[in-house]
Amino acid sequence: MAGRSHSLRRYLFTRIALAIPMLLILLTLVFLLMRVAPGDPISAALGGRLPQAELDRRRAEAGYDQPLIQQYLEYLGDVATFDFGTTIVDNRAVTDVIVQNGAATLELTLAAMVIAMVTGLTIGALSGRFRDTSIDVGGRLFGIVIYAAPVFYLGFLAQLVFGKWLGWLPTSGRASPVVTFELETKTNLFLVDAAITGNGEAFVDVLEHLVMPATVLGLVIGGVFIRLVRVNLIQTLKGDYVEAARARGVTERNVVMRHAFKNALVPVVTVVGLQFALLLSGAVLTEQTFNWPGIGSELVRYLDNRDYIAVQGIITFAGLVVVFVSLLIDVVNAWIDPRVRF
Amino acid sequence: MRRRGRFAATLAVFALVLAACGSDEPGDDTGGTTGEPAPATDATIIHGTTDSIVSLDPAGQYDFGSNQISQQVYSTLLEVPAGGTDPEPALATSCESEDSTVYTCTLQEGLTFSDGSALTSEDVAFSFQRNIEIDDPQGACSLLASLATCGKWKEGAIETPDDTTVVFNLQAPNAVWPAVLTTSAAFIVPSDSYPADSLQPDDQVIGSGRYTLAEYRPGEQVVLEANPSFYGDPPLNARVFVQYFKQSSALKLALEQGEIDIGWRTFTPTDVSSLEGAEGLNVLEGPGGEIRYFAFNLSLPPGDELAVRQAAAMLVDRQAIVDNVYEGTVEPLYSMLPAGFGGHTEAFAERYGEGPDPDGAAQVLEDADVQTPVELELWYTPTHYGDASADEYAEIERQLEADGLFDVTLESTEWDQYTEDAFTDGYPAYQLGWFPDYVDGDNYISSFYSSASFLNLHYANDRVDELIGVEQASTDDAEREAAFEEIQEITAEEAPIIPIWQGTQLAIVRDGVTGVEETLDPTYIFRYWLIGKSE
Amino acid sequence: MSMPALEPASPGTTPARQRGLRRVVSAFRDAHGVSKAVVWVGAAITAAFILLAIFAPVIAPYDFDTYRTADGVRFEKQEAPSAQHPFGTNVMQTDVLSRVIFGSRTAIEVVALALVVSLAIGLPLGLLSGYHGGPLDRGLVLVMDALIAFPSLLFAIVIAFLLSDTFGRGVVTAALAISIVYIPQYFRVVRNHVISVREEPFVEAARAIGAPPRTVIRRYVFQNVVQNVPVIATLNAADAILTLAALGFLGYGIQPTQAAEWGYDIKRAISDAGAGIWWTGLYPGLAIVLLVTGLTLLGEGLNDVLNPVIRRRKTEPVRFPPRPGNEGTP
Repeated sequence: MAGRSHSLRRYLFTRIALAIPMLLILLTLVFLLMRVAPGDPISAALGGRLPQAELDRRRAEAGYDQPLIQQYLEYLGDVATFDFGTTIVDNRAVTDVIVQNGAATLELTLAAMVIAMVTGLTIGALSGRFRDTSIDVGGRLFGIVIYAAPVFYLGFLAQLVFGKWLGWLPTSGRASPVVTFELETKTNLFLVDAAITGNGEAFVDVLEHLVMPATVLGLVIGGVFIRLVRVNLIQTLKGDYVEAARARGVTERNVVMRHAFKNALVPVVTVVGLQFALLLSGAVLTEQTFNWPGIGSELVRYLDNRDYIAVQGIITFAGLVVVFVSLLIDVVNAWIDPRVRF
Repeated sequence: MRRRGRFAATLAVFALVLAACGSDEPGDDTGGTTGEPAPATDATIIHGTTDSIVSLDPAGQYDFGSNQISQQVYSTLLEVPAGGTDPEPALATSCESEDSTVYTCTLQEGLTFSDGSALTSEDVAFSFQRNIEIDDPQGACSLLASLATCGKWKEGAIETPDDTTVVFNLQAPNAVWPAVLTTSAAFIVPSDSYPADSLQPDDQVIGSGRYTLAEYRPGEQVVLEANPSFYGDPPLNARVFVQYFKQSSALKLALEQGEIDIGWRTFTPTDVSSLEGAEGLNVLEGPGGEIRYFAFNLSLPPGDELAVRQAAAMLVDRQAIVDNVYEGTVEPLYSMLPAGFGGHTEAFAERYGEGPDPDGAAQVLEDADVQTPVELELWYTPTHYGDASADEYAEIERQLEADGLFDVTLESTEWDQYTEDAFTDGYPAYQLGWFPDYVDGDNYISSFYSSASFLNLHYANDRVDELIGVEQASTDDAEREAAFEEIQEITAEEAPIIPIWQGTQLAIVRDGVTGVEETLDPTYIFRYWLIGKSE
Repeated sequence: MSMPALEPASPGTTPARQRGLRRVVSAFRDAHGVSKAVVWVGAAITAAFILLAIFAPVIAPYDFDTYRTADGVRFEKQEAPSAQHPFGTNVMQTDVLSRVIFGSRTAIEVVALALVVSLAIGLPLGLLSGYHGGPLDRGLVLVMDALIAFPSLLFAIVIAFLLSDTFGRGVVTAALAISIVYIPQYFRVVRNHVISVREEPFVEAARAIGAPPRTVIRRYVFQNVVQNVPVIATLNAADAILTLAALGFLGYGIQPTQAAEWGYDIKRAISDAGAGIWWTGLYPGLAIVLLVTGLTLLGEGLNDVLNPVIRRRKTEPVRFPPRPGNEGTP
């Protein structure tokens, strides 16, 4: 056992050491892209209104004409202290943006994840279990088609049908205006807040707002899961231990449920953890479609206004999370499966 | 709203044409300082918009969305009442000047901020000095240029002999100063709680306006509650929710579903025409000062040729653009000074006719020995002025090419790049739009046609510059209007800029919402306090 | 590891004699059962769109920016589907059917260009990196991993921004923005495959008899690696179409006056939804779904046939992830 923890520690160490240069490259990339891109917040806001000379003066005043290397070093220093800066276009601390709007995104993506899991696991498992039957073909096709539909297109159709024609569900925002204001926000996850304060009316309202965006995003991610679960289940169903279980006379149903399914999930979970980037991009489009005040739609707004402090901060944060999550998954994998360490 | 006779008289003396500078609250009314009035009704109004907020600190804003909320929570010395054009008393009971250089304003007695602290002349001086000294890159200190240059406060520019007297010592005579006192650069903030050298955090707004800020969720929601210590008439509602939308389609759906009571700014033409006649909804229209145009750079071909500009002016069919692209939600514009402003003439219609005139255009080009088709690179920006820009410029391209006189290459780029290139001789011809800073004809004329214009078109006409000098210094309406008229005539003839259309303000409200019509005026101030709800 | 990539088939399954792209062709012949149906349906859909793209001017009733009939009568704006306009007209007063057809041309142009560019860069880099190893390999892997960690849609947006000044807002800009997203993915797949192929007996043997590295890479490694490319390329193409549409939807893509693009048309159609106008968005969206489905079926079917791992009795799980690079788009 001592040997095991030793090699794990060494692996952990190497893995973290590798993460640092990667992070640095990511940060440099973010910085360069934002600076090389044309425009700046001043001309974005006031261009076509003030004379060129006045714009130049204001740009200089705001320090946008400092040498790149100096700006770069300042940026790295700030990131090291978890200071992501203050947005230019609306004077908010980027950390506030991450906390407030991030909560909205988290709520949306968690709900979407639940829906993705339910559809993905059910349909994927059925397809895998009844491989090459019409159930399988149907399930796979569903997975492919749903994944082929852009999330904003599904959103468009859902709004048309459930918002416009049937009028069942609200089409934008996280909650009704009054609920947003009166709800006591402790976690900023509205559904949780409504539940812990026992505000039934708010809970229903929030849920109604959440259903459509979460389902749309969830289905798209679910399309990915269907394929994953199916393939992995087919794999494990061919494993020796499954054969052994069959040979022992375990019913096929139990083989699938008890033995194969669980094992098939391990790689799925790994991949799920790696879907953060997918979620973020999906969230940008979903939030844009449903006017969801999450971090994705804020990002697009800041991008439109050329607020590179904000964009830089948000993307840096996203990069940190991606690097951290992949580190975490590698470590967990190494812990489960010692072969990885070598 | 009673007016003070004395003030009205005083004002008439200066009588700046100034149709009120863009901003502010009308309400006003006299000495009603004592803290009484509870809100007249307890109505809650929910307003939806696609605007956004840069900063709620007066020193850090020069944009529409910020001003919109600031108008509700701050007060100015003077303000323009709904439907009016001239500044009237607000925090100040009067502002007088003998020579348009030294202005003396007298404050009402017993004014307070929403946090209970007293509002005195000190706070007024502090607010102006602070705005100039902070010199925020996104701020509007340049509006105060006649008081002091941005970033360079001048000792003695404002004197405060006592608690209720403020004396402005301007650097040069400025007849439009009272109008400036109604803009967002002139909101009064408390010297006790606002930092002198940096912006106040947006969630700690303190003003003396009709509302207090109860909640601010950036990009999402603003909640305003009636300010019980406001000096004048209380609002007709107790609470206003402002919901921020990213897209007009979402705003429109929310309106249809009854989530919001009022939709104002901005709808696409499709939205408007589909909402017209919708059950429970009313489309309200008001005059607007928003305009769109395209400009030729006179240092680049083909716009360096007068005949080319004139031919383009003849070929553009404004009515077709209005009908096809905007479904009649805007008006054709035949002068850079839009209708509704003193001195407006239909200069382009008079010079070139209302409809397209291909024969005239062909003649002009032939007379000048210009080879046809004229190759023209025309630029527009696809999102800044709304998605319809693409359609509008596709339409203009079709019109110019219809008779084979032009060969147009349409080019587009995002706003950031656009502003870098358009004003530095990057584009031979390009699209632009304008919103008034304050509601005076000068804001349109001098901004575009002065040889020092930000447009950098290389258009310079001595007579025009001279006339601009006249209208800026004069306080005589007739003299100013005559100057405006002559400028329009000259510039229509020389056609460096082709006006296209003038916006109308559209608000869409649910049944039972009252008072919105009243506030839809060229100041573009949406006065929540006039809005009520009937059962 | 950070992004699940389509792991190459274990090289042992590849008959070394039948090398290169020929195996892809034989895949169609060898396929059977469901795989066969999948491959053929996918190929048929894809081929249909390619034909549509090539013959767009012949097939489409109007040009993508036509707004009036030949005798100068303007189309109605947002007219419901009719005999004259089977899919109706949109807010730009153009014919939806024609824009959908021309949209396939735009999509295929962009994707083809993006594929060529990202392959031209990703493939050689992956070959070199994988074959030579060492500091070059480690450095490249690090950079590519960082690129993959960057949310790719945002990456594409920023690149599109940067390039629009030089190339305008047309097909080239969109294609380059998209290709930059996919370079790291080709790199990764090719490199990983090269590393496993490098240790194969036949490569060892070639080295042992003194073949120079160039020859080894070209004749043995490349030939072996390249057969995986069609699968990845097809799946990436599907993904690229979604990325292109997302760019268009967010307003960073191709301008409507340059070419017809489905994502942009949906963006404009969103405001029609509130007015109950469904035809302006429904059809461009269906085109996206159909083409992406076709490409995915083709790619998956090829994968099933070429990498028959899941048909064999093996215990190691196949990482058969969403698909390389899908994070760009849902």
